[in-house]
Amino acid sequence: MNPVAEPAGGLFRLSLKDALFIGFCAVFAVLARMMLRLHLHISGHAMLVTAFFLLLARGSVRYRFAASFAGLLAGSASIFLGFAKSGPFMLVKYLAVALVIDLAGLLMPNLFRNYFWCALVGGLAGGTKFFTAYSVNYMVGMDPTVNFQASLFEAAGAILFGVLGGLLVPVVLRRLHAYGVIS
Amino acid sequence: MHLGKLFSMRKVSLAAVSLETPVPAGDAKWVGLRMLLALTLSCLAFTAPSVPFLLALTVVNLALLWYLGNGQISLRRELKAFVWQTLVILVLYLIRFQDLGGLWGGFKISWQLFLALLPSMVFVRSTSQTRIVQALNRIMPCRMAFVLSTCLKFAPQLLAEVRSIYEGQVLRGARILPRDLVKPWHWLDLLHCVVVPAVVQCMALAGNIALAARARDFGSQPKRTCWPGL
Repeated sequence: MNPVAEPAGGLFRLSLKDALFIGFCAVFAVLARMMLRLHLHISGHAMLVTAFFLLLARGSVRYRFAASFAGLLAGSASIFLGFAKSGPFMLVKYLAVALVIDLAGLLMPNLFRNYFWCALVGGLAGGTKFFTAYSVNYMVGMDPTVNFQASLFEAAGAILFGVLGGLLVPVVLRRLHAYGVIS
Repeated sequence: MHLGKLFSMRKVSLAAVSLETPVPAGDAKWVGLRMLLALTLSCLAFTAPSVPFLLALTVVNLALLWYLGNGQISLRRELKAFVWQTLVILVLYLIRFQDLGGLWGGFKISWQLFLALLPSMVFVRSTSQTRIVQALNRIMPCRMAFVLSTCLKFAPQLLAEVRSIYEGQVLRGARILPRDLVKPWHWLDLLHCVVVPAVVQCMALAGNIALAARARDFGSQPKRTCWPGL
């Protein structure tokens, strides 16, 4: 056995290798948003890559809070890379999505190879946009009815793209499992 | 076809994200102050009680934009987003209140939202990425800071590998050219031919970096030691 090699990570322990892999997922989540110029004029299309990479991070390692760690890193990375238009609130946006994924992972550990559950979790993760948008608008004192409609409008697109992002995850994870890259 | 225009990629500058250049402690403090100022201005925009206060805040923001950006920062993209956001809010207010009197309230909300986002944008654009990373290194757990800075540093290498995987698959005849990807049923080919190998590459690279870090006694001390000293 290699004396330098680190013991594998577990449910509660994050090995450095897993942490770095999660970090790469987080950085890719931010870079994909920056590079793919999706001029779709549909609110929430960024949720496609966010949901995909956060679900991938959680599905590829055993650590229970992998998505939250990825969300934290993605939020920080977006600030570093000058992509955080909403400033530190970007962290909250990523963390809200990540917490939904981690919570779902805690309740159903095998959901990441199932298309239906992944799509559902992706949609729920996209649905967090409603709460983040609602809270921001609430803080500036927007009329509650208008706030509800505006937040719903933003969340509808995010849910749709969250579902799409979720559907892509089992395809990748099954291939990785078949290659023996993940256990 | 020139594959450099893959997915109409924007050039992302990551070279500046490095921890190799030592930064004087005074610089990190100055960056911390700027960050605090941006946060304060954002919070003030959320709690702005009246129009004169909003006007004063706008003037302060514009002065900050001019001072920190040396007149070089363009607000074109942000103004476009502001116009779009204002239109959506105004339409919703018109539907809700059924008269033009409600429009002013909608415009004020949009104005506040814009002022809440502007300071962060000015801060991020006017401060180098290295300075931000090094300032945040002081408030982040060292392991997280290491992971983040390492991933940012290796991201260009990974992007280059993804690009070579893509080009190799295109030469093999995979239907993943931009014109093919217009059809959603070709997205699966992109997943199988590019995303899966890229994820495997990521895992291999993460394993190599972790091994190299462990070989240099990373994690043997509770507090991170590094060279050059931060």
